[in-house]
Amino acid sequence: MNNPLRAIWEYLKEISGENAYDRYLALHTATHPGKPPMTRGEFYRHRQDEKYSNPGSRCP
Amino acid sequence: MGNRLGRYAIWVGVAIVGAVCWGMLALARGETVNAGWLLFAAIASYAIAYRFYARFIQTKVLETDDSRATPAERLNNGRDFEPMDKRVLFGHHFAAIAGAGPLVGPVLAAQMGFLPGTIWIIVGVILAGAVQDMTTLFFSLRRDGKSLGQMAREEIGPIGGAAALIAVLSIMVILLAVLALVVVLALAESPWGSFSIAMTIPIAILMGIYLRFIRPGRVLEVSAIGVALLILAIIGGGWISESSPFAGAWTFSANEITFALIAYGFIASVLPVWVLLAPRDYLSTFMKIGTIVLLAVGIALTLPAMEMPRVTAFAFNGQGPVFAGSLFPFVFITIACGALSGFHSLIASGTTPKLIQKESQVLPIGYGAMLMESFVAVMAMIAATTLDPGIYFAMNAPATVLGDTVQSASQAVNGFGYSVSPETLQQTANAVGEDSIIGRTGGAPTLAVGMSAIFAQVTAFLGAGLQAFWYHFAIMFEALFILTTVDAGTRVGRFMIQDLVGNVWRPFARTSWLPGNLIASALIVVAWGYFLYAGVNDPQGGIYTLFPLFGIANQLLAAVALTVGTTILIKMGKLRYAWVTALPLAWDAAVTLTASWQKIFSADPLLGFFAQRSAAIEAARNGELYGNATNQADVQQIITNSTVDGILSILFATMIIIVILDAARVWFGLIFGDKEPEMSEAPWEESHLDSEGREIAEPVGARS
Repeated sequence: MNNPLRAIWEYLKEISGENAYDRYLALHTATHPGKPPMTRGEFYRHRQDEKYSNPGSRCP
Repeated sequence: MGNRLGRYAIWVGVAIVGAVCWGMLALARGETVNAGWLLFAAIASYAIAYRFYARFIQTKVLETDDSRATPAERLNNGRDFEPMDKRVLFGHHFAAIAGAGPLVGPVLAAQMGFLPGTIWIIVGVILAGAVQDMTTLFFSLRRDGKSLGQMAREEIGPIGGAAALIAVLSIMVILLAVLALVVVLALAESPWGSFSIAMTIPIAILMGIYLRFIRPGRVLEVSAIGVALLILAIIGGGWISESSPFAGAWTFSANEITFALIAYGFIASVLPVWVLLAPRDYLSTFMKIGTIVLLAVGIALTLPAMEMPRVTAFAFNGQGPVFAGSLFPFVFITIACGALSGFHSLIASGTTPKLIQKESQVLPIGYGAMLMESFVAVMAMIAATTLDPGIYFAMNAPATVLGDTVQSASQAVNGFGYSVSPETLQQTANAVGEDSIIGRTGGAPTLAVGMSAIFAQVTAFLGAGLQAFWYHFAIMFEALFILTTVDAGTRVGRFMIQDLVGNVWRPFARTSWLPGNLIASALIVVAWGYFLYAGVNDPQGGIYTLFPLFGIANQLLAAVALTVGTTILIKMGKLRYAWVTALPLAWDAAVTLTASWQKIFSADPLLGFFAQRSAAIEAARNGELYGNATNQADVQQIITNSTVDGILSILFATMIIIVILDAARVWFGLIFGDKEPEMSEAPWEESHLDSEGREIAEPVGARS
């Protein structure tokens, strides 16, 4: 279980936002039971638009 | 007890290693110094600073409180506010602060030798840069993730706040122009570079479609595909540069690339983000982290010797061909991002504070990530100074000084007091697959030559001739994330303009309103496009003229952040510890204001913009040429540029003086008057998360 390669893979999935949808799903079912959640596609499109509609700055 | 002794012994050991390495750097006899000493001097210094100084700031000055709920916990909405694992957030924060600045700055500062720049990169980050990042992050964290501008307005006052806002916008324009200039100078007359960078546009569009419609959210697989295509584009560029009809078609002049870049910046700002910006963001982040790791491994494996002297004569006479001015203040201006960068305060008061789980995590994320950035700058310094100084100066002096041929460049380098044979210059150009490396200013090509030499040595077992691939790999890596900054920066500038004008005329503030979008995008693109065009066509050399301005602007923003930090510390009743931000502020203000003073008032036409202006006007009146001008149009160009740049210097210096004076008024009111401090800190609320972000039943520790 403590495979370092696996740990790196999990880290990459976390940092790239790949499992953001899974976390959203868990939060959604916990807080809004009964309301249908967004699909994976809807979720990412929504998140991407949201993220860049108010961009912070970045370093040169 | 034994355990404690052991810990002391380790830290004493680290201190001794650090001291020995510094000693070797400063004093060792012999022709050259090995880069290994520099590497270990840096690591030992960072370790001690992190363990002792940063910990002191965290526990004594800021008094972080892990029983206090962070905005991410209190305002968790699963979108912008969300507690994020500290290791993941560290990665995000580092990726956001690490840009081209820490790579380009040290390369240019190397004209004064490797030691002055290196000392400032390491000492500066420990006492100033990392402190700024960490304190700004903490103060924004206590204020629900407010931006630096908002904090300046609330903690100092409307005047200081407005000056801070104008400073941010004008700095953005200069920043974009200088970064775009670096790309133009790296790609001009290089079919290989132009082709592979142009290919990133279709690659990004492909990735964008894939990510949005085909496999939504599968970031890792699309990034893997993108990186593979990128490598193919670099290899393809090599073929293009060798086949005669294509090589000609892909060879562009600096002005052609300038206009292509301006058009590109406008289109990228207007288009929806998923088409270009978002996929390019993923691509450049992975390339950036990957290449930095590669460079660290490469340097550790090859341990090259640094050929550049410790200190060159240019440190004292201020006559350097890369940028004018002597060590103080210009080495501190030029290093910029690797030691102290005002831009980080925009990130530390933007996205990151909304995602932190625990207050104590400002130590690894604020201070720690900045130490990493400084380490990147150290590696850039190593890569640049392992080059033969003759090659370094032949690449970094303005093209107008060096002439067109390897012979003239060799002679010019002799004039600087270094020597390089015309044959060596030609061989170096051939090895990296370019026609010429003369006058390739901007830092990126120099770094790429240095990096490619290190990588080629590591991959020598795969066969010779890989240096050209690695050179273009390095150019691609730098150009890619500079272009990402140009995309994103143009967009940020567009939003700022829409916001500013929106205060006067409402509809303009709606970011989805197309005419507002088009006008604001055009305004910001024209602004940086003007400076880019002026830089590309500056007879004195665009980097020579504009880079100091960029450095001053960046350090000025740092002064704003440190001023806000000092104000908040005093308001928190921490006057005793206010020196933590006040000392770096005093130093930074001295550096930026001295540099501004010299740029505005110096009588030396090489240094002062207005002295240059009068000298050029005088020359024009007598019908003579001035500086590196070859005709009267060039002289007129010099007059215009020095006027505009001089006015900009005045604007920058005025803004910083206003911010500091307005803050000093607040400080005196607090210290000597009996004014009650008004703080806009969010109220204390108990945290229900443990240090790993898990929900807990019992509170973390009762607050007394």
